[in-house]
Amino acid sequence: MKKHHNNPDSCTACTVCVAHCPVTKATPKFRGPKMVGPALERMRLSQEDVEPSLEYCSNCKNCDISCPSGVPISTLNMLARAKYYKVRKQSTRDWVLSHGEQAAKMASAMPFGATMANLGMSMSRGIMKRIGISDKAPLPPYAATSFIKQFKALRQQSYPNKVVFYPGCFINYNDPQVGMDFVAVMQANKYEVIVEEDLVCCGSPLVVNGFLDEAEQNAKTNIQILKKWTDKGYPVITCCTSCGLMLKQEYQELFQIEGAHEYAKHLYDAGEFLLQLHDKGELNTDFATLNEKYIYHAPCHLRAQGMGLPSVELLDLIPGLEIENADAGCCGISGNYGFKDDKYEIAMKIGSPLFEKIKASGLETAVCECGTCRLQIGHGAKVKTMHPMTLVRKAYDAKKNK
Amino acid sequence: MKENDVVVIGAGMAGLMAAAVAAKSGKKVKLLSLGAGTLTIGGGIIDVMGYVEGNTPAATPSAGLLQVAPEHPYKKIGRPAIEESIRFFKEICEQEGYPYIGNLDEMQWIPTAAGTLKPTCLVPKTMNTAELKKASKVIVLGFESLKDFYPHLISKNLANIPGFTDKEYETVMIDPSLADGRDVTALDVARWLDTEEGLRDCTQKMRGVIKPGSVVIIPPVLGTSPDYRVAESLQNTLQCTFVETAAIPPSITGLRLQTMMRNYLRKLGVRIVEQALVAKSIVENGKCIAVITEGVDRERTYYANNFILANGGFYGGGLIAEPGNVVEPIFNLPVVAPADHELWANPALFSGEAQPFAKIGILVDEKMRPLDADNKVIINNVFVAGRNLCGYDFCFEKSGNGIAITSGYQAAMSVQGEKK
Repeated sequence: MKKHHNNPDSCTACTVCVAHCPVTKATPKFRGPKMVGPALERMRLSQEDVEPSLEYCSNCKNCDISCPSGVPISTLNMLARAKYYKVRKQSTRDWVLSHGEQAAKMASAMPFGATMANLGMSMSRGIMKRIGISDKAPLPPYAATSFIKQFKALRQQSYPNKVVFYPGCFINYNDPQVGMDFVAVMQANKYEVIVEEDLVCCGSPLVVNGFLDEAEQNAKTNIQILKKWTDKGYPVITCCTSCGLMLKQEYQELFQIEGAHEYAKHLYDAGEFLLQLHDKGELNTDFATLNEKYIYHAPCHLRAQGMGLPSVELLDLIPGLEIENADAGCCGISGNYGFKDDKYEIAMKIGSPLFEKIKASGLETAVCECGTCRLQIGHGAKVKTMHPMTLVRKAYDAKKNK
Repeated sequence: MKENDVVVIGAGMAGLMAAAVAAKSGKKVKLLSLGAGTLTIGGGIIDVMGYVEGNTPAATPSAGLLQVAPEHPYKKIGRPAIEESIRFFKEICEQEGYPYIGNLDEMQWIPTAAGTLKPTCLVPKTMNTAELKKASKVIVLGFESLKDFYPHLISKNLANIPGFTDKEYETVMIDPSLADGRDVTALDVARWLDTEEGLRDCTQKMRGVIKPGSVVIIPPVLGTSPDYRVAESLQNTLQCTFVETAAIPPSITGLRLQTMMRNYLRKLGVRIVEQALVAKSIVENGKCIAVITEGVDRERTYYANNFILANGGFYGGGLIAEPGNVVEPIFNLPVVAPADHELWANPALFSGEAQPFAKIGILVDEKMRPLDADNKVIINNVFVAGRNLCGYDFCFEKSGNGIAITSGYQAAMSVQGEKK
């Protein structure tokens, strides 16, 4: 197992991260990953050293991906941010953006809560703007019925093979169809899907705004629930690549939680899990021919996981389907970064090469695992977006309905 | 993760080249990379052979190649493959719309940001020094607030170099107005020129300080993408010849080269797995079955018919120095190094003498397969390319990317020679 150590002295100041950092490219206000991360960490170790440009790091992880010396630069930044907020209070804006799960829970608990909340949200964009949330940013509306509710209403075929699904906030409250598509795909492969209701937000939105202690609590809650299953060898699957990165990697980098290392071995991205079934000759490949073409965007938080682009390989198995890899870098949104009023323009600038590439392709729909990437792509490139699982389900359904 | 013809380990120049050659011949290639390679800290140019033993400049890369020692990788690769690999690389450049100039029979001496000249073989057109050599007057143009490019230093040092002494030098500065709380690098200036407004603004400012017909030495700032859009725009509008210097990192010319190679690989369907720390291999009866990555979560196994090991030397992690021992971590291949580790380094850092550790590496046959002490092939379907090869000193002889592309080419061609 890879040893992760947050030692800034592994940095040789070679500047590869500077050349690959999308924020450095978009704004001169950020002093760059090398300087803000490992270089200043050496100072922070001995004294409190406040670097104002630290707030510009979006935690997109392109620095970590590019570093030839294996320094987890973005994690150093997140730890420094947490240290900064140990003795300071976050803004109302950052609190709101980090605690989306609580608002969503309330909206989902009330009858017509989602509708009311969406209505409220569209009316309160002015208030949000006043606390620092961009009135132009593509904030996601709540779904009428959460994934958990839809899932509970679904009658699954029972199979001896089972997987545990971690939906995450975005799928649960904003885009439940992705979760339902995933369940359908697993059913088509004779797997039964288990969903634990007491799972909480992975903590990724908390970490980026310095609420590290709360994120650690969430990590402990999630690990405790999921470990019951992973200890028995059940795979845990995510469709959101940022949740996946958090659950398996950042928990280990940021916290010292007993058993985190063992449980992480059982965590899978949906695409990777299905591709592994294919390697074992167990994937249901009874796909319809889809004579369609899509453009694909690889989320940075997927690229950081060291498994390549499994969904692209999976979609390649569907006859007729053509997937063009945009390969045009970060979309800019990076969780809730692009929602912030003072970061919105930076996020749009970061994403502009991707938006241009998608527009130039002339294709109508972009495929991407990450929910907030999809929001940003829809907003910036003005195209429809889709999770790969939706496309896989479509290929199964089209065959069944023939 | 199954069904690969070739797995390439390493996304530096050697790995990118090997992947390109293998994919071009129709192989299904997976490229495992840990970090983005060191292209953006290298010069983005192809040094083949600049200096021979004794720190003597070679007259041409070809002449330099004739003088290498028997254990040098170039001797294994051989002249025909060296020529073919350079042809292949130049074809990639042509196809991607970013042609390089140069050949083995001419040494390119390019100016550096320190005002010295550096010998190399293939360079982008923006480093063509033909007009510079002929010019009676040279302008050195700098950018306000740009670090590590000082026109006065460059002109003063160049004026002492034979062939450059009888020229008239003028230094000029323009202000890109980029200073905003952080150090400005050539990358920032290049990104400014990437934009339409930046290019217009820069053209305007340059027009104020340089006359049409001038030969202008500038830092490598003519755009970040692998094309000549910015260079051609400036040259056509201002009727001047611009010559980019070699400069310190972050390297813009290296970034262009990396982008070009990755664009080419994407078109050929090469699948890149980033953050892939290859830690072990499965070898049975002299044949490698798979390599295994160690993630923070778990191990992943990558099967293939052939493997190309191009994960660098000490810097890239392809070689690891321990007290008294140098280890190749994936296949545990023997590493050729002086037995006494006191002899690995030359303590006189500025003596002008080579560092012995530079030549530490893996011994290979003419197909780039690893050899043991008895010159027997250890693993039949593993081919080694780039910085982890023994017997050459890229820094001292100026041969880094030359070894990368020629050994990467040879490794991939050896794969093709093998029957399934």
